[in-house]
Amino acid sequence: MEQSEIYIKHYINARNVLIDLLYTIIISTLIAAFLTFTGITTKSFIINLIVSQSFGISICSIIMFLLWIFKPEKSASLAFIFTIGVGSGILIGLQIGPFVLQQIFSIALKPQDRGLLQTIIIAIAFGSAVSYFFYARARLRVSEEEIQQERIKRLSSEKEALEANLRLLQAQIEPHFLFNTLSNILSLIDTDPTNGKSMLMDLIHYLRTSLSRTFPDPITLDQEIDMIKAYLNIQKIRMGERLHFKIELSDAVRKHPFPPMLLQPLVENAVKHGLEPKMEGGAIMIKVGEEDEVIRIEISDDGQGFSSFNKTGVGIGNVRERIRLLYGEKGRLILEENKPNGVRAIIEVPKHDLQSYYC
Amino acid sequence: MIYKAIIADDEKELRTYLKSILSEIWPELLICGEAKNGKEALELVESKRPQIAFLDIRMPGLSGMEVAKRIAGLCRIVFVTAFDQYAVEAFEKEAVDYLLKPVSKDRLIQTIQRLKNQLSSSTEPPARLAEVVEQVLSKLPGRGGSDFLRWIKTQNKESIRLIPVEEADYFKAEDKYTLVITKEGESLIKKSIKELVQELDPGQFWQIHRGTIVNVSKIDKVSRSLTGRGILKLKERPELLTVSRNYLHLFKQM
Repeated sequence: MEQSEIYIKHYINARNVLIDLLYTIIISTLIAAFLTFTGITTKSFIINLIVSQSFGISICSIIMFLLWIFKPEKSASLAFIFTIGVGSGILIGLQIGPFVLQQIFSIALKPQDRGLLQTIIIAIAFGSAVSYFFYARARLRVSEEEIQQERIKRLSSEKEALEANLRLLQAQIEPHFLFNTLSNILSLIDTDPTNGKSMLMDLIHYLRTSLSRTFPDPITLDQEIDMIKAYLNIQKIRMGERLHFKIELSDAVRKHPFPPMLLQPLVENAVKHGLEPKMEGGAIMIKVGEEDEVIRIEISDDGQGFSSFNKTGVGIGNVRERIRLLYGEKGRLILEENKPNGVRAIIEVPKHDLQSYYC
Repeated sequence: MIYKAIIADDEKELRTYLKSILSEIWPELLICGEAKNGKEALELVESKRPQIAFLDIRMPGLSGMEVAKRIAGLCRIVFVTAFDQYAVEAFEKEAVDYLLKPVSKDRLIQTIQRLKNQLSSSTEPPARLAEVVEQVLSKLPGRGGSDFLRWIKTQNKESIRLIPVEEADYFKAEDKYTLVITKEGESLIKKSIKELVQELDPGQFWQIHRGTIVNVSKIDKVSRSLTGRGILKLKERPELLTVSRNYLHLFKQM
């Protein structure tokens, strides 16, 4: 019973109160019908109905009111409230019933009516039974709600953890890339210090962004593109004439929020598996724009393409999994053959949909 | 005697750098050629007959390891690598010469001392190198026997889509061709189930019926039907697949 406070707090809200009142009216009507047709009372259905409703509504209102005021924490005080509710509800109902009959239907009940004691006994019996039903139902419903909420909480935290893991994997810096770049810089210090400096600056930018992007802070598309530029600048120095690249970023989406490290792996794939292994190298074309309510990003290369037996699926699987976690069915990654050769990766994600995840 | 060497690296700046520190440490060494890929390196070794080849491991076309395999008896080889754990461990164990990028002067001095000793003591380069290289190549990830199908190409309107094979839930025969079923939908591929069985990794894909191949990692459970066949349930998919009697042994308990 330690959780009673939680469920009472949850339970008393406008919707539940209305639903319980409605149930009370239906049950009271059934009781009136039962009493009339079994002949337990000799009164007409209308009288039974009015009396039954006035007991029912009184008991229900008082219990709700007491729960709302006292918010009991122990089962004993909860039961006490129900008992008080049934008792005082019957007393009030006894006043209201005849009053309504008198005022609206002009039916006067004689004060010393023989049925008074019988009415009270019936009221207590039904009142207690029905109240107990509500009591049990309230507990059940609240604990179901709690279980549901627990589940949602657990699932979303699992989802977040998975996303964080995938993001971390993607933010990992490839050692080959790092040491080759450092070797280049070392050499350029002697042969071409200006170029060496700018390569070092690009490396610093790339490292800083990679490292900061292990955090889930939202970034904008132009920040991701800046990082990709730094990466491609470095690769351009390494590969020389074997690499050309062009980036088109439409102004409309420049400041749009975007998940960090989602494009980077695809660009790295294009360089690593498309152009680096190809002797004459090639070009990378990146287009970022919008179409209706969709952000569309194309990364095309004219490299050697994925041969059927090439093992490069891991990074792509990660990107696809992250899109699924972040956007559900609304986002997708498509891989196509680029004509006449190479690969085109297309990411499509809905606009204005990411904030909900990050906030 | 004046020794000759070639340098093979796809990055121009790194060739220049190695050349400049070599000229400092071993001025008598003649760099008789530079190669920017494996193929050029092979040609240079054959035409210039150097005593030493500095080979970058990752190069387009032929890798440094593949070049080494072919020229092992012809000259001494020094591998140069930025980061190849497997290879470096093997080189260390088998006393193969290698340099790590960025190449440090101290390390290069040591390597050159060893080379000079070897060159002056024995005339023939060690042939055992080919074995070591072969051994490393077979252990590299994504190599050595794993020549299974990785990508499925499917026609989609104007374009050809690429699907990583591990994303396929299952394959189903459709006339002469095959339907590949993934989370995203179905597409037709111009290969028969028979061909696919040959090309797919048998550890990851099992044929369970004349017309069905299933991705093992997507299997939820298998139960017996009244007729003695198996009913296979996939994860995250509503449909049930039939396992014919011939393939039921795959699901026998260990």
